[in-house]
Amino acid sequence: MWLVRPAQPGDLTAILELAGGGGPRMSSTLPLKDEALAEKIEQSVRAFEGTTDPDETLRFLFVLENTDTGAVRGVAGIDSRAGHGQPFYNYRQDALIHASHELGVSRRVDVLYPSHALTDNTLLCAFTIDPELRGTDAFELLSRARMLFIASHRHLFTDQMVVEIQGVQTENGEAPFWDSLGRHFFNMDFETADQHSGALSKTFIAELMPPNPIYVTLLTPEAQAALGQAHEKTRPTYELLQREGFRAGAYLDIFDAGPVLEARTDGLKTIVSSRPGTLHGSESEDGELYLISGGAGAHFRCTLTPMAEALTGDVKVPVKTWHCLELDAGDQVRVSPL
Amino acid sequence: MLVIRPLQENDLEALYTMAQAAGKGLTTLPADRDLLKRKIRHARDTFDQRCAPEAGLYLFALEDTELEQCVGISGIQARVGLDEVFYNYRLSVTVNASRELGVHVRTPTLHLSNDMTDTSEICSLLLSDSHRGGGNGLLLSRCRFMFLDMFRKHFSEKVFAEMRGVSDQEGRSPLWDALGRQFFDMDFTEADTLSGLGNKSFIAELMPKFPIYLPMLPDEARAVIGRVHANTAPALKMLQAEGFNFNGMVDIFDGGPVVEAFVHNIRAVRDATDRIVMIRSTKSKAPEAKASGSEKVDEVMVCNGSFQNFRVTTVPSDCIGIDTITLSESVARALEVESGDRVRLSLLRGPLKDTGQSPTNHHKDTNHVGRSSRA
Repeated sequence: MWLVRPAQPGDLTAILELAGGGGPRMSSTLPLKDEALAEKIEQSVRAFEGTTDPDETLRFLFVLENTDTGAVRGVAGIDSRAGHGQPFYNYRQDALIHASHELGVSRRVDVLYPSHALTDNTLLCAFTIDPELRGTDAFELLSRARMLFIASHRHLFTDQMVVEIQGVQTENGEAPFWDSLGRHFFNMDFETADQHSGALSKTFIAELMPPNPIYVTLLTPEAQAALGQAHEKTRPTYELLQREGFRAGAYLDIFDAGPVLEARTDGLKTIVSSRPGTLHGSESEDGELYLISGGAGAHFRCTLTPMAEALTGDVKVPVKTWHCLELDAGDQVRVSPL
Repeated sequence: MLVIRPLQENDLEALYTMAQAAGKGLTTLPADRDLLKRKIRHARDTFDQRCAPEAGLYLFALEDTELEQCVGISGIQARVGLDEVFYNYRLSVTVNASRELGVHVRTPTLHLSNDMTDTSEICSLLLSDSHRGGGNGLLLSRCRFMFLDMFRKHFSEKVFAEMRGVSDQEGRSPLWDALGRQFFDMDFTEADTLSGLGNKSFIAELMPKFPIYLPMLPDEARAVIGRVHANTAPALKMLQAEGFNFNGMVDIFDGGPVVEAFVHNIRAVRDATDRIVMIRSTKSKAPEAKASGSEKVDEVMVCNGSFQNFRVTTVPSDCIGIDTITLSESVARALEVESGDRVRLSLLRGPLKDTGQSPTNHHKDTNHVGRSSRA
């Protein structure tokens, strides 16, 4: 069975492999270095246990585990506050109208403004999955398990949520947007900058970018074409998030101009369609597949289960689902249709 | 004889013909009769002190007294940017540095600025083809420094000139194509013409206001920033010899440089010296004014020092005595001076050391007296 659970220090090697594999990096927020990743897992453990310093951001890291083999095949995260107390940088694409009454001219000029407006919104991040699993039920489970976690720990998160989608890259890992803009200010290619970003912080890099707005018309045609475009590999993620209710707004990633999606937390499909219930047994293994989650904090577990239609608040599922969730009959769970 | 005097109403036709011949590139004097007429009237009001000093437009005509015709023009605008907004780009540097990343990158950046506001500008130099050479261009240009010197309170301490930037034979400007055109769908020549008709600040309002990072512009455009058009190179050289320097500002359309100097540092001002006029009757042997083509004798600009009836002409430097200058009757008449009047002199071509010629006695005298009179 597929299980989503909090990441543990023992998952380090598996996560490192996931983050490092798959050719060009997906600009995810996972560090590639052992110590940095171990620290990130520690942060997550503290967040799940509720021992995080009150001033610190809660940074949850979930893993997707195949319970049959014990293999970790995916990882996904939630940061309770984007930027972790530092500015969370994006470009906001906006228009200026350059007009002259005297000359009877009016012209729309597109501009990218550096923005911190999304700082402190809850951020979905670090989504990385074994490429073989892209678009499968396990993929959906890993992504949506986070929404169920949010639904049952709603007070920890903000009303608005954001997620950064990786932007356009060429086959050899170059980002046209970076080459047209950021590169001039760093003298380094996208990959190097991305590695620094993972090792230091994205804010650190962002603060070296020009603080002034950028005229879109002065970017190369390739860079202009990349604005707000998602990397092909992210399409399943993008589509899933769109089904959840995320929409691309005016915000773009400062490195690769990938879209930043926004949604109202309480309007997310998984949250709206989920319902709490009491765990009960079921003989049958038939029925529609549901996401089912239970357990608070470090005990949070989420898996997929067949469930027969129930009119009451009872959630009747096979006993092996109980075991997977490490719960017993009578415990409170939350379900949402797959 | 060639004499500098304030521009007059009856110079209109001559001015129009010159403006037409100059064609594109001289934006401040487009071939437009009504506009030129307005400019002349403005200049008249300025010399007659019928307008506020800061609104002044001083236009000087170079008159060929034999033809009784204006064959050249040059000007000073008392202040720029007072009734409209005067724009330039300031070429500056943005530094990105991070010790952790080992990054230290300098990015040349253009910032839109109004820094030249309230500064005096020398402008509108135009010389008829028939009168090129023989130092006439120098006279037209440098007579303005004598005027600035003598009437400093009417001008700012610093003066500047906008130099024409690079454009090709078809009138295409690489900077305009890369920058202005992206914001204002118009050819450079068209924009330039509009700007000459007084619409420059309107166009400027359509231009980008946020800093422009030069690495984002194509190489051709970057290469012309702060560079002058080949036709303007001699003028730039002349101003540089005079003490003008690039001040980091460039034209927002073609990237041509702005050069500036403090009035008191301009060579023509520093080298100026006063003499008393002594008129010699034409019958006696007196040096003739402006013997054209005479390369041997250095010429000196002589200026009558009048605001309303400002006159400058050139005489051979061997007219200069220790305290006096000997002028023929015709030159004195042209300058509207009489014996005993004080005039101001400045070498037309500057000190001899710059020309590489061996100094002659009278030049030593001039320099010597000039120095002691200032001391």
